[in-house]
Amino acid sequence: MRTVEVLLVIIIIAGVFIASSFFAVLPWPREVSPMNLRRLSLTTLETLDSANDLSTAAFNVNNATLWNNLQITLSASLPPDTVYNLTVYNVNSGAGGATLYTPEESISNAANLGITSDASSYLVASSNVTFNVTPQKIGESNGGGGGITLYILNCSDANGWWITGYTSPSLAQDLYNLLSPYFAQTVIVQSTAQLGQLLGGTSLQGEPLQNAVVINTCGEAVPIPTSYGVAPYSNDGYAYYTYTLGQKVLQYNWTWVSIVGWPLYYVSNTALFSGSQNTWGIYGMNMVGRNSGDGPAGLNSFLEGIDNQTYTYGDSSTGSPGVVNLSTEAQTECNYYGIYPSQYQTSTRALPTSILSTYHMNVTTYVFNTVNNWNPGAVYRHIVTANGTSQYQGGFFALGLTRTPDIRLTALGLLSDYQPRIYSSDYTSYDTSRLVVLQLGLVGGT
Amino acid sequence: MSIDHIVSIIVFIAAILLFVGLFTQTVQTAIVYQQHQAVAVKCSDLLDDMLLNPGSPNNWGQNNATATSFGVQDPEFTQYELSAFSLMRLESTTGQTVEFDKTNPSIFYNEETTGAGSYLLMPNAEALNYSSALSLLGLNGTYGFQLAFVPDITVSIAQTSTSPLSFSVSAMGTGFPYAGATLNYCLILVTLGQTNAQYPSYTIQTGSTVTSQQGTANIVTSNSVNANQICSLIVYAHSDGIVGVGFETSNLPTDQYIVPIMEDMGTQQVALAHNYDLNNSGPAGYSLKYNATFVILTQGYTLSELALGSPSSPGLVGTVTSGVGNPYPTISMPGSTTGILIVTYQENSTDGGIAMMPWGISSLAFPVTFGGNPALQEWVTTDLRQVTIGSVAYQAKLSFWSDQQMQVTS
Repeated sequence: MRTVEVLLVIIIIAGVFIASSFFAVLPWPREVSPMNLRRLSLTTLETLDSANDLSTAAFNVNNATLWNNLQITLSASLPPDTVYNLTVYNVNSGAGGATLYTPEESISNAANLGITSDASSYLVASSNVTFNVTPQKIGESNGGGGGITLYILNCSDANGWWITGYTSPSLAQDLYNLLSPYFAQTVIVQSTAQLGQLLGGTSLQGEPLQNAVVINTCGEAVPIPTSYGVAPYSNDGYAYYTYTLGQKVLQYNWTWVSIVGWPLYYVSNTALFSGSQNTWGIYGMNMVGRNSGDGPAGLNSFLEGIDNQTYTYGDSSTGSPGVVNLSTEAQTECNYYGIYPSQYQTSTRALPTSILSTYHMNVTTYVFNTVNNWNPGAVYRHIVTANGTSQYQGGFFALGLTRTPDIRLTALGLLSDYQPRIYSSDYTSYDTSRLVVLQLGLVGGT
Repeated sequence: MSIDHIVSIIVFIAAILLFVGLFTQTVQTAIVYQQHQAVAVKCSDLLDDMLLNPGSPNNWGQNNATATSFGVQDPEFTQYELSAFSLMRLESTTGQTVEFDKTNPSIFYNEETTGAGSYLLMPNAEALNYSSALSLLGLNGTYGFQLAFVPDITVSIAQTSTSPLSFSVSAMGTGFPYAGATLNYCLILVTLGQTNAQYPSYTIQTGSTVTSQQGTANIVTSNSVNANQICSLIVYAHSDGIVGVGFETSNLPTDQYIVPIMEDMGTQQVALAHNYDLNNSGPAGYSLKYNATFVILTQGYTLSELALGSPSSPGLVGTVTSGVGNPYPTISMPGSTTGILIVTYQENSTDGGIAMMPWGISSLAFPVTFGGNPALQEWVTTDLRQVTIGSVAYQAKLSFWSDQQMQVTS
């Protein structure tokens, strides 16, 4: 009797096993280890469009030759066990409840795509359409009327130092291309005489002088007008000239930009210094400072001028933190403005953080992270307090990097500081885009 | 206790054991399936990790810096555009080790070739090996992989006639003949010097044709090859963004030849070695005269010569002599510009050849295989991407496995 009961139990357990096995369906081996068809599809579309051939075909659906070539290329580039269906959709406006996507053309190499398939979509643009971006002019959002002026010093009668491999004109041209869209007016300063005119408070083309940005493309040297080659500007080996420059920066609320190296280490004027050289064989240049020059006096005097301190001769100092990294802020702006300098740079002329308190400065933009109290690249704003109210008056952007200058860093620093907006054109304009969908499947096996 | 009791208990226990075994097997199989699926997902993620970041430092492929993170994307591009130089620095799984004593202390090189006259020898000391890559990817002891890059299009060339100089070309995709593709070819015709003072000289001619429905084409040139001439044909097949490369060299019979060796990625110096000096395989004192040039691919799929220095400077024209004590010439390569180093050489007025070295793995569509051996693994998952390396289309295939046991009990 008990044997019969046991047999009944076995029958029940067997039933449970069969029932559970029926419901516990194991996946197909292909589903266990799937090839990522979605990524393969996307990368195939990207490769097909690498020379814009896919875009061309998508907008020429009646061109049998183009589509025949596309199908052959698709078949040739995919693995033999892969089947596909490529469909091009026109992107409609969708207004009034109209269909957003309508199929235009489709090619396939199989009646169906097997038991598993996956797809990727890719948006292609018509070659007839140009997508523009319109930069905001710096200063316009701040009630600055017509915005501010960009001056690029490209003085033909001044030489550069630590711009090795480049010339001032080439750097000026690159800066013009990078930055002029963001400024209301860009003026190339062609000679030291024109610089003298600006320092005297007279604009060159009727542009607003106040609040301008002045970029010195001569590297560690600064152009000096011939008219400034006399006392008191020539005092202390032209240190007083750099002091005057600082005062002008304060007076006109300029932002002075030093693109590389130790700022204002030399003064340059090929006529004024035709017989002297910078101790490295570059004539038309004079090291700033007493006793035939001791360079660092230029920066010190300049900062005194910005801070409107009484002129006192003395040396500045810079540090050598070595390899430095772009700040997080600057990296973010790289993506926004589409400027991609190397994240790592070498700095051997970084300014000390102590200048912030000594000269009443504030850093508004760190292009590079501070390293051990050295700022490899930052935009400084001078703080003026009047009647209990503080405001910025005069600015200084110093990139204390080792030669050769990367002009993109200059552009990135200025744009990061002023943050002009970029207005993109509409990418979804009717009949300017087509959607290409590539669906892939696998044949053979289980 | 009756016999009935004993029989029933034995049968019951046997049945329980049997069903426990059956349930366990089902559960085990499901668990293994889950583990396999996890490995497959990781394979796909890892492949994207490798292909969508340039590694660190991001230009590690273009110098001799030690990579501190693994990635092969071209740092100047986005998406699946890979660095032709980073791939050169991967220690090939399929390559042979060659010894060249003259570059002491780094004397071992990994040799790759895709046919007669093509060489890519990279210094072992500067190669990123498999175990280092596993460490950089955080896979040490847990997973293994093999990363392979195979050109989408295989271009095969055979010389069919010497007068007129003719070739048969076949372009095949991975799954289909490359029909209707445009073929742009560059014919390098080398004339051997006939006097002791002369070096081999060359001309480069270009042309184009289209493949048939079978993916084949015949190229008939207006040239004929004399007894003292050698030729090499480089063909680019392209259509709809997919570009393939093939080449063929007709070296004249000689057991002496020149092998370009990438001496140091830091200085980007290529050494020209006499083959007798490789693995100490021949006697000293044998000389070959050479004439070297560097060509790059233009947007119109023609080859353009790029100056390596003054045409009369050492390193472009000279002599290579075998044996210790005879210095080897070096050539400085031009930074990050991909191209082909072409070295024409001659033993005498009738025997000579052409040696080519891709500067950037894609210039001659060299395949790359890097990593472990999937054939020895219990279970391997694979994933695939289409990538572009220096404008040449490749398939990047990652074979991936777990080093931990995943056995289905039967």
